[in-house]
Amino acid sequence: MTPIDETVTPGAGAAKGRRRPARQRARAGRMFVTPNLAAIAVFMLFPLGFSLYMSFQKWDLFTPAKFVGLANFRHLFTADPLFPIALRNTVVFTVGTLVPTVLISLIVAATLNRKVKGIGIFRTALFLPLAVSSVVMAVVWQFVFDTNNGLLNIMLGWIGIGPIPWLVDPNWAMVSLCIVSVWKSVPFATVILLAAMQGVPDSVYEAAKIDGAGEIRRFFSITVPLIRGALSFVVVISIINAFQAFDQVYVLTGGNGGPETATYVLGIMLFQHAFAFLDFGYASALAWVMFAILLVLTALQLRLGRRNALED
Amino acid sequence: MLDRPFGRRTLLRGAGVLGAASLAPWSAGCSDDDADALTFFFQANPEEADGRLRIVEEFQRRHPEIRVRTVLSGPDPMQQMSTFCAGGKCPDVLMAWELTYAGLADRGVLLDLNTMLAQDRTFAAELKADSIASVYETFAFKNGQYAFPEQWSGNFLFYNRRLFAEANVKPPPARWEQPWSFAEFLDTARSLTERDGSGKVAQWGFVDTWVPYYSAGLFGMNNGAPWCTPRMNPQHINFDDDAFIDGVQFYADLANKHQVAPTAADQQSVSTMDLFSAGRAAMAMGGHWRYQTFLRADGLDFDIAVLPTGPMGHGACSNIGTTGLAIAASSARKEQAFEFVNFATGPVGQALIGESGLFVPVLTSAVNSAGFARAHSGVRDLAVLTGGPAHSGYLPITPAWEKIDALVDRNFGPVLRGTRPATSLRTGLSSAVDEVLRNP
Repeated sequence: MTPIDETVTPGAGAAKGRRRPARQRARAGRMFVTPNLAAIAVFMLFPLGFSLYMSFQKWDLFTPAKFVGLANFRHLFTADPLFPIALRNTVVFTVGTLVPTVLISLIVAATLNRKVKGIGIFRTALFLPLAVSSVVMAVVWQFVFDTNNGLLNIMLGWIGIGPIPWLVDPNWAMVSLCIVSVWKSVPFATVILLAAMQGVPDSVYEAAKIDGAGEIRRFFSITVPLIRGALSFVVVISIINAFQAFDQVYVLTGGNGGPETATYVLGIMLFQHAFAFLDFGYASALAWVMFAILLVLTALQLRLGRRNALED
Repeated sequence: MLDRPFGRRTLLRGAGVLGAASLAPWSAGCSDDDADALTFFFQANPEEADGRLRIVEEFQRRHPEIRVRTVLSGPDPMQQMSTFCAGGKCPDVLMAWELTYAGLADRGVLLDLNTMLAQDRTFAAELKADSIASVYETFAFKNGQYAFPEQWSGNFLFYNRRLFAEANVKPPPARWEQPWSFAEFLDTARSLTERDGSGKVAQWGFVDTWVPYYSAGLFGMNNGAPWCTPRMNPQHINFDDDAFIDGVQFYADLANKHQVAPTAADQQSVSTMDLFSAGRAAMAMGGHWRYQTFLRADGLDFDIAVLPTGPMGHGACSNIGTTGLAIAASSARKEQAFEFVNFATGPVGQALIGESGLFVPVLTSAVNSAGFARAHSGVRDLAVLTGGPAHSGYLPITPAWEKIDALVDRNFGPVLRGTRPATSLRTGLSSAVDEVLRNP
């Protein structure tokens, strides 16, 4: 018996009695929600508001902040030669991560969506990268990408391909980064797509099969359209993750986004301005620009998705 | 009791009490530490950390009333210090680096030690008389003295005696006044580079254990071009100077053209320090901070020598690498902190540092002491170390160094990889750096 139950008094004044537990329940609910709300206010709303405020200031952590209006944004868009480079690298990284991630996870999810003996083992093995920290993963990949003794170049050597300077050459560094990011992103995308695929009714496939549709036709005409919601979610999340990439870049190619500017993405630029140059106002302005870009992309993507759904 | 159900509220209350009880001793312990101890923030490799702690222990033995809590830095001490200080938990005593301290001093994080010296004129006079001027002045920024130097960490050459003897190659000179040329250095490195049957390098003639783009600059300096003039708050750095560019090109060619030094790709799987420690490199450039590591390497018989001089150079030189000890401007224990800094950078601490072999001390009394010589008994001629500070050129001291460093890293990369000539620094880097210096 719960304390709330104990307060209910049957008989006379039953209506009043019913109102009291309802009020108590609401109060208990508010009490349970309060810590979460407080955490959101302290750890999310306050930093968000503070960073917006800081984006209009010049602040180096130690001296008092000085209001500079839109100067940080103006400098970012008109006078910082590294911003277009960082933006271009981030777009390349996003596309280089997103497209392979969606394609590979679709194939993997379709493969795992079968009733085969021991499929659980394959599913578990595939999801393991999800449990590995990005930094640990990047350190391991550093060994894999070693030019002279790395696993990847040794394997390429077996088929006659000479050593590739994966992390040393600017042209290959971004490719390396995308490979690691795809490796990290595929399991999560696969989990989402697999769950969606398992929700597609078998009867639809059976009907298509009776109509003579082959496996590939069934995949593109039934599976893909019916998991479009999940696919859209995966695309949005992958874009957001790629745009915010920092940890794996920092470990793999260093805090300056090298070699040269090959892996100088927006996350690295933000970190460098905030924690190396101690220019928190400028870094906050950059963070809000990143947020705005992501907001527009996500809204656009959702709108397109909704329009397609209506057309169907 | 047992017949009564265990209510949700009882459970929550119990959890609350347990949580509070578990936090109480932790917070009390924390406040104890914060209230009593003098915090000392420093960076050290494992071999250095042992030596550091010995100095701290000796200080505590002599000053039992001052408890010192050491804070060992992670890989990025500037970032860590900034975060600590911005969060209101600035360590009382901070290690200061010649290239980066100006950023903290300019923002008011470090105490001007002249204010403390004014109260202790005896120590001030003693320090001034015993110091090596160029090293002491490294921390004099905008009319203030923001740290007292505690070591000279300029670069020189370590060489493997056994490999030189086996190849029948003459050891390099051990006095700054007896320079050897870039050409002689290259010949020596060539003679000591060995390849196996497949053409793969089994032994390198030269490896660099410092930061490659700073090392390249040091070769430029040895070719007769200073990094900048003046040293403090310069408005221009000589990345467009012909002599500097030639020196940088010579350094880059060692790996890319002459193949006597490992390329960046060669260094991915094994560090240059390990190559020298394992006897797979004949010469290594580095500072005294590598000394303890090489001393502990199994079977390594090494000595030290001066750096080579380029055709446009005016004599062999090292760089004024130095670290010092600073006091946080916000410290609540300034007197105790000054006591500690006095000890570590004054005659007593410096003599101990010299005897321990931890650093090259920066007081003439300590660097010329019998204790320092005893700690380096394996070295043929100590003049490389004792004469190092007097034969050192300086690097720029500016609050904008972090930005310069990022630019240098970005622009030196292709030169050091051999994909662009060093002359590219003249157009690409020089103007960008000057712009940062003008508008930090």
